Amino acid sequence: MMPLFQFSDVCFGDFLTYPDITLAEKRCTFIMGQSGCGKSTLLRLLNSLVSPSRGTIQYRGENLATLDTLALRRNVLLCPQDVFLFEGSISENFSQYFGYRDAPCPSEETMQQFLQLCCLYLPLTARCETLSGGERQRVLLAICLSFLPQVLLLDEPTAALDETTAHQVLANVKLFCSERQITLIIVCHNPRLAELYADETVLLEKEAAK
Amino acid sequence: MNQVVQLQIAQFALIYLLLLAVLAVMKKCRVNEAKLLVVASVRMTVQLTLAGWVLMLLFAHPHPAFTFLYLAVMVGFAIYQVLRKVPGLNRRFQWIVGLSVAAPGLAVLFFFVRVVVGESIFNPQYVIPISGMIMGNTMTGAALGLKTFCDSLAGQRSKLQALLAIGASPQKILFPFVSSALETALLPTLNSMLGMGIVSLPGMMTGQILSGTLPTTAILYQIAIMVAICAVVCLSCFGALFFGYRTLYNDRNQIILL
Repeated sequence: MMPLFQFSDVCFGDFLTYPDITLAEKRCTFIMGQSGCGKSTLLRLLNSLVSPSRGTIQYRGENLATLDTLALRRNVLLCPQDVFLFEGSISENFSQYFGYRDAPCPSEETMQQFLQLCCLYLPLTARCETLSGGERQRVLLAICLSFLPQVLLLDEPTAALDETTAHQVLANVKLFCSERQITLIIVCHNPRLAELYADETVLLEKEAAK
Repeated sequence: MNQVVQLQIAQFALIYLLLLAVLAVMKKCRVNEAKLLVVASVRMTVQLTLAGWVLMLLFAHPHPAFTFLYLAVMVGFAIYQVLRKVPGLNRRFQWIVGLSVAAPGLAVLFFFVRVVVGESIFNPQYVIPISGMIMGNTMTGAALGLKTFCDSLAGQRSKLQALLAIGASPQKILFPFVSSALETALLPTLNSMLGMGIVSLPGMMTGQILSGTLPTTAILYQIAIMVAICAVVCLSCFGALFFGYRTLYNDRNQIILL
């Protein structure tokens, strides 16, 4: 079976070198490693937010550098670690994010479903400026999930959550994605979560550039 | 109408007495800018005196080449001042800014002097003061627009990255910043047009009336120059921002921050 992503001799900038990773489709892969070893950058390479300084990345057998980036990012969606939400209510945020994608906003019912999937039991009128860090993270996660991409890249999706909520959210997300055959690639530094939820693990080590 | 009264140097020098009042207030309020006041006054005096002598020379020897040279220096200085206010722009953006300051400024100047007034484009009596006003306002407007644009983008890194990450196009992400900066740059000009003529008379009209021009003629010039300034601020800002913002992202739709 052809891998979803294939790295060949990839380097980023002057300092990051990646092993020749393969990432499989429809699985839940955890990317782990020390701080600064390039986990977030790996995700950003996968959806072409940044380009490698050397080497190629193949997506479904094609060189990533030749693909239309906007179409790619709609299929391979990245939920960033650095949460950004617009000023306003949760439903206004859904509306804004979908607006930037030129896509119709989901119904209120659908929005609520995604919020509950992320263990967030707040009304859609709740203002995002008043939410805690963990709540804001889950709102963004819900929005990203509601785009229903083919591949979902999550950068530390549970960093601001307590252990119990983190487990619940990951369990829900993994189940949802496997039902819809969405590939999950998650950067996470928590080994306990990886143990329970990862189908595959990629361990990155800090290496000096060759 | 009377010719303007020629100022005698000794009487003129009396105006500097007013600066003593300014110094006194600064001292009383402990505003430690006495040095700046002196430097500013001296520089202004020297620079304007030099400008006056240059203009006297130009009017005495009205060769098209001199007028052209004066314009070239003026435009060059305007571009330099704008670029100085917004450091860190990439090379392509800087070129676009330069063209956006020069082209609309010169085009509107040409239109004003040649078409509206009906004088030769090399007549220094008309070209110099009018180009001064046009380029001066272009410079201020473009600098304001660009600075607003750059400042509004700084600190928006997480917004830009988040929207790119979910597949929004860079144009859609950056364009609101362009519109907003353009609006900010236009507002001062529009506001000054709103209040014009109600209490104070604007500088150009004041100068003309002092020199003996009929007020009815002076207002026509004033209205015309305000419309020209509005157009040139709008066009130069638009040019700089609309073409300039495209240099902020590459063909991989990655935003290369300024």
